[in-house]
Amino acid sequence: MIFKRPQSLQTRLLAMVLTLLTLVWLGAALFTWSDTRHEVDELLDGHLAQAAALLMVQQTRSDEDDVVDAPSPHKYAPDVTFQVFHKARLTTRSANAQTTPLSSEKTGFATVMLLDGNQWRVFAMHDNETDVQVFVGEQTESRDEIVWGVLRNILVPLVFALPLLALLLWWAVRHGMAPLRQLSQALANRQPQALEPVVLDKVPTEMQPLVDSLNVLFERITRMIAFERRFTSDAAHELRTPIAAIRAQAQVALGAGTDAVQREHALQSTLIGCDRATRLVLQLLTLARLEAAPSTAATSTIDLSQLARRIAADLAPTALAHRQDLELEANAPCPVPGDETLLGVLIRNLIDNALRYSPDGARVCVNVTNESAQVVLRVEDSGPGMTEQEIAHLGERFYRVLGHTQPGSGLGWSIVKRIVEVFGAQVQVNRAPLLGGLCVTVRWPKTAAPTTAS
Amino acid sequence: MRILLAEDDPMLGDGLRAGLRQLGFQVDWVRDGMAAERELISGGYTAAVLDLGLPLKDGLDVLQALRARKNTTPVLVLTARDAVPDRVRGLDLGADDYVAKPVDLHELAARLRSLVRRAHGQVQDILRCGAVQLDPSARLVKLDGESVMLSTREFDLLHALMLNAGRVMSREQLEQQLYSWGYEVESNAIEVHIHHLRRKLRADIIQTVRGVGYTLLRTPELA
Repeated sequence: MIFKRPQSLQTRLLAMVLTLLTLVWLGAALFTWSDTRHEVDELLDGHLAQAAALLMVQQTRSDEDDVVDAPSPHKYAPDVTFQVFHKARLTTRSANAQTTPLSSEKTGFATVMLLDGNQWRVFAMHDNETDVQVFVGEQTESRDEIVWGVLRNILVPLVFALPLLALLLWWAVRHGMAPLRQLSQALANRQPQALEPVVLDKVPTEMQPLVDSLNVLFERITRMIAFERRFTSDAAHELRTPIAAIRAQAQVALGAGTDAVQREHALQSTLIGCDRATRLVLQLLTLARLEAAPSTAATSTIDLSQLARRIAADLAPTALAHRQDLELEANAPCPVPGDETLLGVLIRNLIDNALRYSPDGARVCVNVTNESAQVVLRVEDSGPGMTEQEIAHLGERFYRVLGHTQPGSGLGWSIVKRIVEVFGAQVQVNRAPLLGGLCVTVRWPKTAAPTTAS
Repeated sequence: MRILLAEDDPMLGDGLRAGLRQLGFQVDWVRDGMAAERELISGGYTAAVLDLGLPLKDGLDVLQALRARKNTTPVLVLTARDAVPDRVRGLDLGADDYVAKPVDLHELAARLRSLVRRAHGQVQDILRCGAVQLDPSARLVKLDGESVMLSTREFDLLHALMLNAGRVMSREQLEQQLYSWGYEVESNAIEVHIHHLRRKLRADIIQTVRGVGYTLLRTPELA
């Protein structure tokens, strides 16, 4: 396995810029080389052709003389050569020209190896009327020298400039990355528990989203911790009272002496107090679990009617014990996305609340309907109901309506609200139109899929 | 001793009332802050047990309103809010004691007795007045070192007079101290109890101030 070292952004940037720079430079050199080569070839080939034409024209004079060796007037002359044949007889040639024809071609360009061991570019020309054959040649080496000369002018500066550029780029990159370094420094210097927002004096626009989302995250964590603390303290606060009640009642029972009625009453109260504390603990646990639950808990489709029937059956004995009339109207299947346990908790809480806060002999109606592709759960009671003000306070954790002898913590409502939120449904509380008590309505969002019963 | 209990939780209130009664207190129970304030202002309570999370008016607001009216009834705050800042705030607002739930009934009773004692300038739990000695926690009375059997009312009446030794207490004041709600107090009840006390202790121990009330004279060695 290759061990991958954590890479510095700075090194990465520097390496990339330098590599790209070198590549572009080399590319430019390559292009220049090929272009120069082409241009030089064209120009010099033109000269060769021109020279050949000139020689051809001069060949009008008679050629009875012997082979003429033309003088070589320039230092480059050894690099250039020519031959003129008339009727296959060599009539004129340059001093450095061999006696055999330079090229096997009668016309046109050719690159050939000559007897002197060098490579030559040869232009051949033939006049059929006069039967004059002209060869003009030039050493290719001289062409290469020109091209290499041009290329040198490009590549040599690169060799010197590259280290200097690297140095300058290193400085520029380092300077440009300063805000990032500053941020990481600021983060490193923080206390691990610190949750206040990161404040930097000059944040570049590219980094602003990063700093912003960091700060949003910090804020969210702060809120979550505050919630957690409040919840713990609220829960502890709310649990102390039933425990204090149990303790006081137990002591009363102990101190009752011969007063059997008082002892009986105190012991009964102790039991009720234990049940109440148990219920409270369960509610707190449910709520804590709900707070931690993701908002998309809908995993399967549940038939709300069937679920409501089951829970109503569970709660019916409690209602009967108080001579309360629990009615359920849930005929059509009402599929809703959700989790069976959570929806069960929701329905149970609603019915339980209605029964708990209604007097003996009251009526509680549970209604599950499918109103134009929208599932609606309605729990109504004939209890005392609530004032506008009390409804406004509902769901504040640990808020209880005054004057109720029924123990409660207001947690039930927090649970209902939270579950409804989790499934994207809506809950509404108002006065029951028929029964006169409280009416709680939960509406699920309309489903796109057809919900008609099969 | 007549105590006002302000507690909104039905079961805890019921338990505290029954428990304190067993321990010899007269207890009136109110369930919200407004009632607590009204009752305390109307007077007649030796001390109060005040929950803080009361409906209608928070316990601390009740306390503040009470102290603003120069009402010095000793107040014991009994609450589930037991964080240090809460305690400090409660005590600063004029609470005489601060107890976190849950509390032992005997401890609560002892704290109430201690509150009342301090409120009356007494340092020791056992009250003395001449030859008479009264132990509020054991509910015992001794005359010249000999135990004297007193009824609950007689004991409470003597306790009230001894706590206020040197001051004249009207019949109404004594009635208020002796009877919690729901008792039909007969017009001569106090006189009857005074008569019994004089008979069981000594005739000269309780002085009658005609038209005003009764007082227990501080003896020179106590003054």
